[in-house]
Amino acid sequence: MGSGPDSGTPVPPSVGPEPAIAVQHLVKRYGDFVAVNDVSFSVRKGEIFGIIGPNGAGKTTTVECISGLRVPDSGQVFIDGLSPRKDRQKIREFVGVQLQEGALPPRITVGEAVGLFAAFYRNPLVPDHLLDLLGIARLKNKEFRKLSGGEKQRLSIALALIGNPRVAILDELTTGLDPEARRDTWDLIEQIRERGVTVILVTHFMDEAERLCDRLALIDHGVVRALDTPEAIAARAGGFRVRFVPSAPLDDATLRAIPGVEAIERKDRYITVTGTGDLATAVLDALTKSGIHISELESRKGNLDDAFVKLTRTPGSKERDSA
Amino acid sequence: MTSDVRPSRTPDRRRGAFAELLRVQWHLALRQRYIFTGLGLPTGLLVVFWGIGLLNPGQVAGSGLTILELWTPTILVVSYIAIGMLGVPATFARDREIGWLRRVSTTPIPPSRLLAAQLLLNLIVAAVATAFLLVVAVVFFGAPLTVGIEFVGVALLAIAEMFSLGLVVAAIAPSQQAAEYMAGGLVFPLMFLSGLWVQPVQVGGPLATIMYYSPTGAAVRALLYSVFNATPPYTTIVTMAVYSVLFTFLAVRYFRWE
Repeated sequence: MGSGPDSGTPVPPSVGPEPAIAVQHLVKRYGDFVAVNDVSFSVRKGEIFGIIGPNGAGKTTTVECISGLRVPDSGQVFIDGLSPRKDRQKIREFVGVQLQEGALPPRITVGEAVGLFAAFYRNPLVPDHLLDLLGIARLKNKEFRKLSGGEKQRLSIALALIGNPRVAILDELTTGLDPEARRDTWDLIEQIRERGVTVILVTHFMDEAERLCDRLALIDHGVVRALDTPEAIAARAGGFRVRFVPSAPLDDATLRAIPGVEAIERKDRYITVTGTGDLATAVLDALTKSGIHISELESRKGNLDDAFVKLTRTPGSKERDSA
Repeated sequence: MTSDVRPSRTPDRRRGAFAELLRVQWHLALRQRYIFTGLGLPTGLLVVFWGIGLLNPGQVAGSGLTILELWTPTILVVSYIAIGMLGVPATFARDREIGWLRRVSTTPIPPSRLLAAQLLLNLIVAAVATAFLLVVAVVFFGAPLTVGIEFVGVALLAIAEMFSLGLVVAAIAPSQQAAEYMAGGLVFPLMFLSGLWVQPVQVGGPLATIMYYSPTGAAVRALLYSVFNATPPYTTIVTMAVYSVLFTFLAVRYFRWE
């Protein structure tokens, strides 16, 4: 209690060292189906922590156990040292939740919904300010049923934030939004981070995870496959990818003979080779020697998308990290 | 800086949340218009039976009562049926179906508070409907009614009966649509048993007995005594109490928040 760090060690205001959320050996079954199978990770204060994974991977179940909406079969969750089940009342005061499928009464207006939720919390934000910040102040008198998908999403985010939470859990934040609305929403999340809010973000968009998250847990079949920064996970995709259109048909054997080539994919006219080293030059040299011209050449480093595909498609991959 | 907030909510805050819930529910109810059904339907019926009474003066089936006097309790109960069956069940089933209750359950306010606000609001509407009908019957149509404390007790019991039946529907209906069908299916038998089409004194025999021991028939009979400031037969009170307890038990037994 009394032996905490003194003012001698300055702590950056945004990301603190102490965990805001700790998830330990979480297990949740629905009948015979194991939705979450021994998931552990911790989220630091002020961090934007992403949970990525394919559909049905157990992402939503995991965050529902964190927010106290579901009771885990075993394992533990702590938010600021409190249990979502035992201290549910306290936790609901400072954890804001955005649900994946959470509709409002069709005829409630934006202003009514936000005002109502503001009345639920002890230290809420000022509704008008929040609506301004989210760019939906002009919708104040519009009924929920008349909102567009993007407007509903913003309202849903507003409801998650109106209580001035220390922790925000956002599930499928930008699903159904057009590209511009998505970018606006990302800006908004970055503003939330600046307020020092710890954010758990569930997403299946890799660009979103790469842009926003400080760290990621990649969950597949209820298991954590990777737990690291987006850059570090992307690096697991390994090496480079080179995509091109050959002037004549090419068989796999010719491609495999090129030094550094590890994998070959074909789609329509395109061939993509994955591998290590100076792959583009190697491919270009080898094919020029065989008298084949290539066009539309593209070369890039492996990214989070590639890592995601690699980590979730490898059968039986049980690679696990711990926090 | 991040010192912990006090764990308990101040009473003021809780009242503020509930008042806001009531206010929003009230606005939503106005937009859904069922409140006008709860008030308008019985008012319309009162006018209709007043008209029928003008065309058929005198007592009904030797009961010593005019048509308007005899039907006023029935119209009160019809109003409770409309409010209890059209208001709470479909709204609550919808709020559960669309995930609104679940959404609310992530806030410091439990969804039970939402239900409490809905019930209180409908209770207020029922009280307003009752007062309005009595005033119209007495002042405009000259019915010689004198209500006392017994009337208030009987009316509350009748309201409790209809609201708890509404909650049974809210509990077991899987969706808003189902709640509407179930409530709609109950409304007509309940209205029939309340004597809207024919009063038990007119039919007599086993049908009258069935009506007397039905949820709405018992309520009408008890109200009929109490609008003349008389003590209702205890069987009517016991019948209403038994139904209220039974409905409440079923509603609690099968209740689902998600």
